[in-house]
Amino acid sequence: MSRGVVIVDGVRTPFCKFGTALAALPADELGRQVVAALLARTGVDPGTLDEVIFGNVAQPAEAANVARVIALRAGVPQRVPALTVQRNCASGLEALLQAAQRIRAGVGEAYLVGGVESMSQIPLLFSHAAAAKFAGLARARTPWAKARALAELRPKDFLPQAAMRLGLTDPVSGLNMGQTAELLAREGGITREAQDVFALRSHQRATAAREKLAAEIAPVFLPDGSLICEDNGPRANQSAEALAALRPVFEKRYGGVTAGNASQISDGAVALLVMSERRAEALGLPTLGRLVESAVVGCDPARMGLGPVPAIRALAERGYRYEAAEVVEINEAFAAQVLAVQAALPGLEEARLNVNGGAIALGHPVGASGARLVLTALKELQRRGGGQALVSLCVGGGQGAAAWLERGQP
Amino acid sequence: MKKMILRNDRVEGGKTIRFLTFDKPDSAANTFDAATLEALEAELEAVETDPAVHAVIFTSAKEHIFIAGADLGLLAKGGSSPEMLETYLRKGQELFNRIAGLTVPTVAAIHGACVGGGYELALACDWRVATDDSHTRIGLPETKLGILPAWGGSTRLPRLVGVPRALDLILGGKTPPARRALRLGLVDEVVPREWLERAALRRVSQGKRRQPGAIKRLFTRAVGAAAARQARPGLEKKTRGHYPAVLKALEVVAHGADEREVYPSLQRERAAVAELISLPESRNLFHVYLLTERARKLARGAEGRTEAAAVIGAGVMGAGIAQWLSAKGVRVLLRDVDAERVGAGMGRIRKLYEEAVRRHALTRQQAREGLDLISPAGFAARPARIPLIIEAATEQLALKRQIFEALDAEADEGALLATNTSALPVGELAQVARRHVGRVVGFHFFNPVHRMPLVELVIPEGTTPEARAEALHWVQRIGKLPVVVADRPGFLVNRVLLPYLLEAARAFAEGLSATEVDEAMLAFGMPMGPLRLADEVGLDVALHVAQTLAAAYPERMQIPPLLPKLVEAGLLGRKVGRGFYLHTGAKGPNPEAEALRGEVGTVPTVGGTRSRMVFRMLDEAARCLEEGVVEAPEDVDFGMVMGTGFPPFRGGPLRHADALGVARVVEEMLALNLKPCSRLCEMAAKGDRFYEDTE
Repeated sequence: MSRGVVIVDGVRTPFCKFGTALAALPADELGRQVVAALLARTGVDPGTLDEVIFGNVAQPAEAANVARVIALRAGVPQRVPALTVQRNCASGLEALLQAAQRIRAGVGEAYLVGGVESMSQIPLLFSHAAAAKFAGLARARTPWAKARALAELRPKDFLPQAAMRLGLTDPVSGLNMGQTAELLAREGGITREAQDVFALRSHQRATAAREKLAAEIAPVFLPDGSLICEDNGPRANQSAEALAALRPVFEKRYGGVTAGNASQISDGAVALLVMSERRAEALGLPTLGRLVESAVVGCDPARMGLGPVPAIRALAERGYRYEAAEVVEINEAFAAQVLAVQAALPGLEEARLNVNGGAIALGHPVGASGARLVLTALKELQRRGGGQALVSLCVGGGQGAAAWLERGQP
Repeated sequence: MKKMILRNDRVEGGKTIRFLTFDKPDSAANTFDAATLEALEAELEAVETDPAVHAVIFTSAKEHIFIAGADLGLLAKGGSSPEMLETYLRKGQELFNRIAGLTVPTVAAIHGACVGGGYELALACDWRVATDDSHTRIGLPETKLGILPAWGGSTRLPRLVGVPRALDLILGGKTPPARRALRLGLVDEVVPREWLERAALRRVSQGKRRQPGAIKRLFTRAVGAAAARQARPGLEKKTRGHYPAVLKALEVVAHGADEREVYPSLQRERAAVAELISLPESRNLFHVYLLTERARKLARGAEGRTEAAAVIGAGVMGAGIAQWLSAKGVRVLLRDVDAERVGAGMGRIRKLYEEAVRRHALTRQQAREGLDLISPAGFAARPARIPLIIEAATEQLALKRQIFEALDAEADEGALLATNTSALPVGELAQVARRHVGRVVGFHFFNPVHRMPLVELVIPEGTTPEARAEALHWVQRIGKLPVVVADRPGFLVNRVLLPYLLEAARAFAEGLSATEVDEAMLAFGMPMGPLRLADEVGLDVALHVAQTLAAAYPERMQIPPLLPKLVEAGLLGRKVGRGFYLHTGAKGPNPEAEALRGEVGTVPTVGGTRSRMVFRMLDEAARCLEEGVVEAPEDVDFGMVMGTGFPPFRGGPLRHADALGVARVVEEMLALNLKPCSRLCEMAAKGDRFYEDTE
């Protein structure tokens, strides 16, 4: 197969909870650091890249097409183009899939892809109605017109809306992401206890895997010269009791989704170097593994958490059955949602699923998570000396994405 | 003969606009040599007698220079020929007066360096418009050469921008970039190069510039007189009488601003230059200027890739070097033994950038671009495709050797390997590099890197000519001034400086106070006394250098026993708050240091100590020349002026020896029980000098 797609190497920043260690760094800075680190580590000539493709959900206003800003700031030559992709929670994976399609189509041979999100720096917004009033005030020329425009303003016009909250609400079904998880729990009879057990295991696994995960991480340099080297989401001392004590967030009385069994909102960035098999061989580069197949499928927005099911089934139809994967990474948007997926796919047992913990412990910088799953899965295959891996994510708005990876046995 | 000034007439709206374009044939720069002045005279005559000419725009055809000013060769000769100087100065003044007297509007359309006489021509015009190009610099640097602006600059600038600003500019010899010049009022408008002509034409359409009204003139006069009165005592203290041009300029500027007519002030300008130019101070400053030009030209014609470098070691020097390189547009891979140290280095680098933004040396945007150019390696990263690797580890030979072994294996075959060292033998590191034979050099940057212009370029034996040329090219590329030195202990600068520091420490140990020792050298013209310098450098660092040199030259570099005692007692200088001086709270001499010297015998005299300190430097400088550490007396003097702040008005140690007379130096050294080197003794016997022009 001449147009095989390989992931040469990858690296990520630590994932840090919203408002903590990485809060001061905007998305383009997180991305710049991770790309500079990957370029320095691989020693690959950025001039030989065909494109830089990054996934990002919040699309920072001050860095439109954030992939281009990242590329230029990280020292990728100006002539190399850059593209930002947005498929909500699968954006980081989408960046990889875009590169793979280009390689298979013979468009290019080397891509730097990844995902980045600063959840901490998602802005507060004024409503459109308020903005229209401000514009009217700015246009008013005479004192009388100005007074009239001022009189239009109401206190609530000055109340900002959190863009993050808006982003986490599905505009079609009107449901908040947490509410979609509650819907799956309700319909699937997934108990609060089952969700908490799942969440606790995520913390335990992530804590136990700290050293393994360290191999994925390049430290982030903060402005004062200090270093951030570790994810700050996993809690070694997490107890079942503490999880049980949390109040449900979305359905206060009968619901089960809490802050403890949902993914943590985090900042972080991931970068992967992707090449045609031929290019990697020509350069004599060792690789992490191959991207073999992928699928993106739509589903009911109100049940977006089930997205992985049709995506994984689509792979199975093409001969890549989840039963055959030694390593499975399904993004832990919500414990209830992963449990619902497991219920729909018999034989997807815990032993192979998210063995190094997931977003409930590690955090979910939405645009970056897809690339993180690929990196974590490939590093796990590397430690196991090869095999097959399946990664999948549910996507807000009602989609599922899945990819099949493999690393040859030595 | 080819034309010095091109004449082009353009008809705009029925009116003839005359463009006079300076374009000295076969030269990258325009200067006011005799031929250019003659051509300007002819052009002015043509304008004055041609009623059809509606306006005049002065411009330049050179890529990077408007007009660089007077012909320095002519000026320098003026020292020995007062008549010639007077004629030359008068000629320029007369021509610029004629420009100022034209009845048609005049504009200087400035792109590139517009300094000295070039800016004085612009000052005689009604309007000044300039490009925002990085090559555009505007100002009057004459005092740096020990003279003052004498083609109307000292007279017209205060009238344009007021006395306080004019003094700041002229006394400092500053040449700010275009945007800053605009803020200071030196030019009327700054535009992109493509629009320079449009801007000039727009100014033409505004006609002659209106002269300030009587009230404004009165105000200017009052403020000016006050500013000048206030400036004088401070200046006298700061220059200690060593820079007569600065005081003279103050006098001329302040005096001239009071008068309605320019002529008396112009006359004072000429008289001042005539007086200053024959002083040794200005001759020496001229000399240093020529040495700087010489250093700039060392790398001429060299080529090589300079877009990226790796810096190994993120300590004070490594961070300083990485910051400087990145500020000059070089991509830098910064490495150290672990990520924490790289992080600490990044913190230092960011501080340097923030400081540069505060000083207006860089814009916020430029600082960010610079920071983005640095890739801090938080893990093992091979310096792939990087043409220059600078190792800046701690000064330990064994450690450096280990690093060089690794670098030799990791770096691209064509890479140039450099060590930043102040005293270690570069040749020993070169031996380690088996893949980079002949491609190992020493770069001795001085601390703080962003403020010290000099780099000692150490060329060990066996270095290929290509590697030497590449190294020079790099030094030039990053805007530093090189002095090429042989791979001998201490190279040039530290070797000459150390005996002086040891002498200072000894005088202190024998009972002189730190202030007495330092004051003696401040009076000599050093920017900082030797003991204060030791405090700044760190006594432990100074001791380390001293030990290296004492091992190499045991008969001359004896370390006074007090020095290791001070280090043992933890009096390391400024970094710990106390050394010879206290640096926190009650500043001043540190009684702890004085207590450590115990009982003192006969206290040496301040005068004798000063002579010893100076002569030890002169002698060691002569030895460097004798042993071929550098090739020429010019190298010694340039290195010491740029590397240590040896008073530029003395022209460097060897030039100072010439000024004293070598025979007298030898005689006085012997009287002080110092042993002059054989070179000095031979020269004294023959009545030789280091320079031919110091008679």
